[in-house]
Amino acid sequence: MNFDKEMLLEKGRFVLKTAEKLGATQTEVTVGIQNSALTRLANSIIDQNVAEHHATIQTIIYVGKKKGSTYVEVIDNDSIRKAVENAIKIAKMSPDDKDFQSLPGALPYNSIPIEDLVSKNTMNTTPEQRAEHAKMVIDTAHSVDDRIKAVAGAISHGIGERVILNSLGVEAYDARTYANVNLTILAEDGKEQTAGWYADNNTDFGKLHFKEVAEIAARKAAEGFGMKAIEPRDYEVVLEPAALSGLLVYIAYFGFSALMYQEYISFLRDKIGTKLFSEKFNLWDDALDERTTFRTFFDDEGFPKSKIDLVENGIIKNLAYDSYTAGRDNKLSTGHHNKEEGHSLPFPNNMFVGEGDSNLNEMISETKDGLLITHFHYQNAVNPTEGIFTALTRDGTWKIEKGEVKYPVRTLRFTDAAPRFLGRIDLLGTYPKINASTFKVPTIKLPSFRISSIQK
Amino acid sequence: MKDLTQKAIDVCVGEGASYADIRIVTIMDEDITIKRGNIDVLNLTTRTGFGIRTIANGGLGFAGSYLLNTPEIERVAKLSVRIAKASGKTRKKPIRFVDEPAVEDTYITPFKKDPFSIPTEDKISILMEADKRMREASDKVKMTQSDYRAFREDKIFASNEGAFINQQITFCGGGISVTVAEGGKQPQTRSLPASFRGDYSTQGFEYFEKLNLIDLSEKSVDEAVQLLDAKQCPSGKMTLLLDGNQLMLQVHESCGHPTELDRVLGTEAAYAGTSFMTPDLVGKLKYGSDLVNITADSTLHGGLGTFGYDDEGVSARRTELIKEGLFVGYQSSRETAAILGLERSSAGMRADNAQHLPLIRMVNINLEPGDWNRDELIADTKYGILLSTNKSWSIDDKRLNFQFGTEIAWEIVNGEIGQIFKNPTYAGITPEFWNAMDAHTKDDWRIWGTPNCGKGQPGQVMYVAHGVGMARFQNVDVGITKEEGK
Repeated sequence: MNFDKEMLLEKGRFVLKTAEKLGATQTEVTVGIQNSALTRLANSIIDQNVAEHHATIQTIIYVGKKKGSTYVEVIDNDSIRKAVENAIKIAKMSPDDKDFQSLPGALPYNSIPIEDLVSKNTMNTTPEQRAEHAKMVIDTAHSVDDRIKAVAGAISHGIGERVILNSLGVEAYDARTYANVNLTILAEDGKEQTAGWYADNNTDFGKLHFKEVAEIAARKAAEGFGMKAIEPRDYEVVLEPAALSGLLVYIAYFGFSALMYQEYISFLRDKIGTKLFSEKFNLWDDALDERTTFRTFFDDEGFPKSKIDLVENGIIKNLAYDSYTAGRDNKLSTGHHNKEEGHSLPFPNNMFVGEGDSNLNEMISETKDGLLITHFHYQNAVNPTEGIFTALTRDGTWKIEKGEVKYPVRTLRFTDAAPRFLGRIDLLGTYPKINASTFKVPTIKLPSFRISSIQK
Repeated sequence: MKDLTQKAIDVCVGEGASYADIRIVTIMDEDITIKRGNIDVLNLTTRTGFGIRTIANGGLGFAGSYLLNTPEIERVAKLSVRIAKASGKTRKKPIRFVDEPAVEDTYITPFKKDPFSIPTEDKISILMEADKRMREASDKVKMTQSDYRAFREDKIFASNEGAFINQQITFCGGGISVTVAEGGKQPQTRSLPASFRGDYSTQGFEYFEKLNLIDLSEKSVDEAVQLLDAKQCPSGKMTLLLDGNQLMLQVHESCGHPTELDRVLGTEAAYAGTSFMTPDLVGKLKYGSDLVNITADSTLHGGLGTFGYDDEGVSARRTELIKEGLFVGYQSSRETAAILGLERSSAGMRADNAQHLPLIRMVNINLEPGDWNRDELIADTKYGILLSTNKSWSIDDKRLNFQFGTEIAWEIVNGEIGQIFKNPTYAGITPEFWNAMDAHTKDDWRIWGTPNCGKGQPGQVMYVAHGVGMARFQNVDVGITKEEGK
């Protein structure tokens, strides 16, 4: 894919000009081109293998306080004109949105050089290279233990280029690449079936740790034999980064999104400034930080990114806002607009949990009666207004007793309130070398985590 | 379009494909959401594109693009074959499909009122009125939402086997939701007729009108306000009754997903998971009580899983999954049916847009109607808890250990509906739970439609449906969250 910033800008400007002629008072347009490919593994073969090529234009029109939007997958000017006409037409029949104040105006960006966001390796990756890496991870996993039965997972990469323009002068352009490998490896010994998982994310396909990911996932599967059922109750817990990161998606969605707060869903309602978590818990969002895997310097409405503290020493500090939700609370956007085909929600996409100075070995040795959890499956809020979440363990969970990993355990369900289980933290580790999760999260040891049911 | 589809097939075969199909799809999706009297979403999506699926050197390839012209079709056809050949390098056995007739046909969803011909003002007017009535019904109302959606998919399927199928699928529907709060009490939400943006059907605008959202608005507020002062749902083993708008998700998660044959065969192992319903258990596993009959049926009128042909060109059909409690069948594709030695596919393959590979997706997965009337079933219950309207769901990767929460529950004492409970939850293990079903209704049986089922890598969101009434289960764990957060 060749970059074509000028073409995207030209299409965007065409939308603004057309909308103005037709009576729009404010207009925002996002023009994007995406190429992606994904090779899916199952039963130690390539089972699915796909490539996509998209061009999309999302137009949001305001006529006074009346709003209409269109999302189209076309790039020719006649179709674009029709999409703008449709957006104007539906905006004019819309009732006033009393909460709408304005689209964001132009502000300076802390730009990131395009060469830091885009990898040529990723752009040039071929189906044959994905197949070679697939074969390598399959062979690597099977070489770890002869009980490895099946390698599943995905190897993917993509490139996206976008411009966001609005009639108040916002003009933002970036291009990004991504690459991912995630493997779920199944093992069997005739009596039991076990599983292990690991993943890596990078902008550069060439920097993915394919071999290590295959080895770690295979070892987890091999070390999963001899599973025992344990009773549901409170345990100490050591959560690997992917486990905590998975929970953070739901904690942030149901807690720190200003939209959820304003709609009385968030468990942080009336808790800003309150100490809700352990003083060791620090959570922030920073899309500009070089340590985050997928950096960006503006959000989906072209508002500049900056660092925002969400939790400082256990105290709730801020919510994630976009222009619309910020306008309702008489605040400024924090640059967290996320949009998808007409729907939008502020969300912190680049979260960090503050590191400590511990490590996995120390955490295990400090655990008397606890669990070591790789990651979770099917997280969900049970009661978002109280911050109660549930999920099941998956792909490697072990019992820790008197400072030693003793045996693997069968699938467990936790059901617990985030303010309770993050209310006390024993130890925090450092960020892992391999980015198994997209958030920057260390391993964490908690003194109490509520297991609500087990699978016998 | 026939010239374009033939061009694609010719290029694929010329590049060495032993099988090739192409889907050309245009999607129109009208989405309206009103929140607190304001337009939150008023959006029209139009997506056009194509996807080419090939088998070459025994491997499967797929590529798609938004750009529908001859040079792009040639490029994508070649890429699809190249990807298939790369895939073939790791295969131990070449992909094989079961035989299905190559059909030339047209199918159009029957409807009375075309939702895309109804003025948008009329849709907004209904939503605004429902929203207004909710806001005016109580000063405790903090959040209101009214939703409408109409979806249309025009698709052409052609294959080198000679199939050429034109289809137009249309669905329409909506729902309302209200959140109330007062002082330090926990906010409560009620959604009607179902949560997560309502209920949908492959019908026209007449279905949205039939939902009567304006008439439901006061009821939603009344129940939400009652929930503010309601007691916490009791906990313990007890008799559980599930309303249709929760029972449908129970069927979805604990029978729909585990009988998808691609999951069973390991294709989804890395993401959605596998299944406890393995092939050695077909005809042996007592999945449920004798009253449990579950089918996959894409021929029923109005279901979101209703169509003429799936995205492999296989005609709509009915397949038994559970018969009198016994596990008897799977939802399948041409490839997975061949692996298992089945004669036919269940016509389960669908993709959520042109550029996504078709996967086995639920059609209308139905708990077949029972013998009871709703009033009789309630009157027959000495003590039980009736749960309604899904709020939370979670199930493990083999689809055994589930936990659900609903918006509201009613206590049933001596055959009469009594007080309301808040925050109801229940949990169980799939076969234990379905074996505990001792009654299912027929008079309130209907097909519920949900357009929100996620699956696959890259992720796809499909529209599916479930026909259910109200069912009763004995000795279920209710009230899991009683002490959480303390």
